[in-house]
Amino acid sequence: MMGCNYIKKLIDEADKSDLLSFEVNQHIGRCGDCERFANERAGLRKLLASETRVSVPMNFDAMLKARLAEVKARSAFSWLSSAGYLRLGAATAGLVIMIFAAQYAGLFSDRSNGSASKAVATVPPTAPPTFNPAAPPIIDRAAVTAAPTVPKVREYYSRNSRGGRADVVARGRTTPGGYFTAEDGGVVLVRGRNGEMDVPMPTVSVGAQPLLYVSAGQRAVRNAGNSF
Amino acid sequence: MAAVTHQAQAIELSGSRSVEAASDHELLAAIRDGDEVAFQEIVRRYRNPITNFVHRMLDDYDRSVELAQETFIRVYTSASRYQANYSFSTYIYRIATNLAISELRRRKRRKMVSLFSPFTNDDGEAIELDPPDLKMLQDETLIANERRSAVARAITSLPQKYRAAIVLRDVEGLSYDQIAETLKLSEGTVKSRINRARNLLKEKLSAYM
Repeated sequence: MMGCNYIKKLIDEADKSDLLSFEVNQHIGRCGDCERFANERAGLRKLLASETRVSVPMNFDAMLKARLAEVKARSAFSWLSSAGYLRLGAATAGLVIMIFAAQYAGLFSDRSNGSASKAVATVPPTAPPTFNPAAPPIIDRAAVTAAPTVPKVREYYSRNSRGGRADVVARGRTTPGGYFTAEDGGVVLVRGRNGEMDVPMPTVSVGAQPLLYVSAGQRAVRNAGNSF
Repeated sequence: MAAVTHQAQAIELSGSRSVEAASDHELLAAIRDGDEVAFQEIVRRYRNPITNFVHRMLDDYDRSVELAQETFIRVYTSASRYQANYSFSTYIYRIATNLAISELRRRKRRKMVSLFSPFTNDDGEAIELDPPDLKMLQDETLIANERRSAVARAITSLPQKYRAAIVLRDVEGLSYDQIAETLKLSEGTVKSRINRARNLLKEKLSAYM
């Protein structure tokens, strides 16, 4: 003997209301509650199935064809979409950041002379105190080491935190006939872009100020750019 | 069920067999090879059932037509990824169901308030507002229209998870296992949801039964 709950479950899950099994029909004949449930379900199914089915409009196929053509065209140029532009922009920004980071870390500077850059970036005392950007002075290391003509100039070298660049700090008096002209007690930083051996021009900065070009002995100063 | 490969089903529809005689899987294999005629045949077979199903889900004819077209576009664009493990009707109803549910969620986010259920009871459930129509019913057409609109309102007032199941079952006539495959649910869950949906509909439509 099947219970009412099980019978109701079978009624509810039947594919069609009139396709109930013999046992279910037998139970419905005896049980008024299950008979009422079966009638409710049959009425509900009939009501839902009697709904007028909608049809597509006449231009459905034409609209679909137009949309499909649009989708095809869009997929053919998908790399030009906003997402593609975003990817390209992100890649470019990443590349720029990497270049700046590498420049900041000094990866582009010449480190081969960094540890050996103890030489003084200077010229012999007889060199003319003129500045010629087209022909930067050639540093003669042998002449510098052989002729200690600047005994009063205290020089030391330090590698700044950015690495790669060697700063020459000269304290004291002006070197006679040299490139460095500074007041007594002042601090002059001589910053060679690629180390002392490859200084293309005498570039001088005072403290953290922009680079200045100092023409030796003439106190002619002009702004030569900012190296920071 | 063993996986049926596309290669095994690929046929030459332009040959002796006509597209009308081809099965859905054969048509999909042809669509994957770029056969536009096969795609038109698929559209012809399913455009009305899919539009009707989405219309029952949304109760919005224009949007239903748009989503039906979107369904066919997805069938076309993803034909190469189609797995013929299940019937194609299950596959296309699943696409349409997902689109309809997405539309319902989008409408819910927009907080679209139905004029027929703007109020809720203490439990937070929507109370259907059905103001009496004081006009006299003239004929059977008006009665049928009234019944039809009442059924549509009752279906659209169902919770979303019940709505798809009951429409697929009692409107579209799919079997329980097809609905389970379409909704990616177990058959027991589908039966439970349909039972709950019918109980809710019975309360709402008792006057028309």
